[in-house]
Amino acid sequence: MTREPASTEASTEEALGVSHVFKRYRDGDTMVEAVSDVSLSVPRASLSVLVGPSGAGKTTLLGILGGLVLPTRGDARIDGRSVVHLRDHHRTALRRQKVGFAFQDLALIHGMSLLENVLLPLTPQGGARKQDVARAEGLLERFGLLDKRDRRVERLSGGEKQRGAIARTLILEPPILLLDEPTAHLDGENAAAIVDALAELRDEGTTLVAATHDARLSEDPRIDRALHMADGKLC
Amino acid sequence: MRRTLAILDYALGATRRRGGRNLAIAAGLAFVVGLVSAVLLLTGALEREFALSVDATPDLVVQRVVGGRPGLIEVDSSSALSELPAVSSVRPRVWGYLFVPSLEANVTIVGATPGELGEALSHQIVEGRGPRPGANQECLAGAALAKRLGLRPGDGIALPVHGDIRVLDAVGLFHADSALHSADVLVVSESMARDLLGIPQGMATDLAIRLTTPDEAGVVANHLERALGQVGQVRVLDKRLLARTYELTFGGRSGLSAIMLLPALAAFLLLAWERLTGLGGVERREIGVLKAIGWSTSDVLLARLLESGLVSLGGTLFGLLAGYVYVFQFGAPGLRAALLGWSTLYPELVLVPNADLGQAAALLGAVVVPFIATSLVPAWRAAVVDPDETMRGAA
Repeated sequence: MTREPASTEASTEEALGVSHVFKRYRDGDTMVEAVSDVSLSVPRASLSVLVGPSGAGKTTLLGILGGLVLPTRGDARIDGRSVVHLRDHHRTALRRQKVGFAFQDLALIHGMSLLENVLLPLTPQGGARKQDVARAEGLLERFGLLDKRDRRVERLSGGEKQRGAIARTLILEPPILLLDEPTAHLDGENAAAIVDALAELRDEGTTLVAATHDARLSEDPRIDRALHMADGKLC
Repeated sequence: MRRTLAILDYALGATRRRGGRNLAIAAGLAFVVGLVSAVLLLTGALEREFALSVDATPDLVVQRVVGGRPGLIEVDSSSALSELPAVSSVRPRVWGYLFVPSLEANVTIVGATPGELGEALSHQIVEGRGPRPGANQECLAGAALAKRLGLRPGDGIALPVHGDIRVLDAVGLFHADSALHSADVLVVSESMARDLLGIPQGMATDLAIRLTTPDEAGVVANHLERALGQVGQVRVLDKRLLARTYELTFGGRSGLSAIMLLPALAAFLLLAWERLTGLGGVERREIGVLKAIGWSTSDVLLARLLESGLVSLGGTLFGLLAGYVYVFQFGAPGLRAALLGWSTLYPELVLVPNADLGQAAALLGAVVVPFIATSLVPAWRAAVVDPDETMRGAA
């Protein structure tokens, strides 16, 4: 495992990057600084983890990296392109093209089957065609969920939902994958399977960043880089 | 196009997923729209019915007034009137009501001249044939009356006259544009009408007058009274005044009913607004998820528009259909009494189905457009903020 200092310069090898970003939220009458002056460059085809206690700002930084959250100040880049000044639909288009997200709260839509959830990102492109369904089934098989394809997601276990959410992020074959606590709901065996899958994706050329406080992931020897966060800053 | 269809498919699924709530909203809309459309349809049908009725009415009708009530008028007086300028024709009419105990209702007996029986009515016969000249026992029955009585051409009709019974042969059925003109009408020869109604020769029920220029009816009416030299003893009915009376009566009643229903419609829309402006946590989270997995704001809004469009359009169309069926299939029980009043004009008024598409479209627009807007505003507010923030807010 390598633990490198965060690079702040954008390069052709950079998949994601932020420079001096801040993010403040209003929480009632007070302002909370979730991310404070963070700079970071994530190289292509790498597997990085953001490690830190709850409230350290990992999820917010992940959101900024993926263009899901706009920073209050500073710059964020996806594939070398700044997203801070992009209009909403351009930012969405870039995100759809480049970034897949798997959320901490699983974010599968209840009332829909697992397969429907996995195919959902394809809807704005005109919906799923035969080959898309075949690809989705391949992804579900990869995560051991093919036999659950038609099950409504509220009837899946936490681990199954987690794997289903990751499978959904892969349906658009994004070159960048951001995951928030991807092993949080999983037992040892399932967590190991997820880590294996993430390492495999990295080997296939995908850039991955995962926010976690799960040592099973952060201390896995296949992790390229572990970035520690506390109080909104990189340590 | 594929994008729209794919999002429509998603919206259909979302409508099903929130089936209970959407069904309740659609049912509420259908109920309110059904009530409003029933009032409008019933009023429209009544107005149309009476407009057709008025169209067939002579420009002026002259009646003698005896003791403040209509009495018989001398046929001879028609010759004095026909010489007046602007008068095109004067026709003494023999008609009246005959109470039939077995029906517990009045039948309108209309006497027709041989010419009318032979020509004017022939193209209105829908079944059977017209009475033969000189065959006094033969009659034509209104199609609506025949339908109500189950009468077929060839059947006999027994009518009580001066303690005796006259049996007429219904040789044919006739149709009139207005159901009013066929709902209780029996057309017989003029001499049979005199016999049945007890109207002596030389007298008529009234005089029907056609004018060369109907717009001058008011002026001509004054001339008619003077020509008859019986001012105060004759009454001249002006077709236009009759039409205006109907218009005011039904327009006023329907307006009142519609105004009474407006608060219900407004209350429901307010309720819907309250329900929809506060997006539920699940919906807010769903919007955040869609945004996060690559849906644009316009994709989210299109899905929301289609979902609320399906609900409101479905509810409103069902309401319009229910209103139509309630009025024209079931005869608008309850509402009909409110609009017609409690006086019974004749046994049964059969409403002719008639839909005003413009009115339906206006009602559709008045309900669906604000309804969709109330759902789009909160969805837009949720979709334009960062997906992460939306999901946090929903948590």
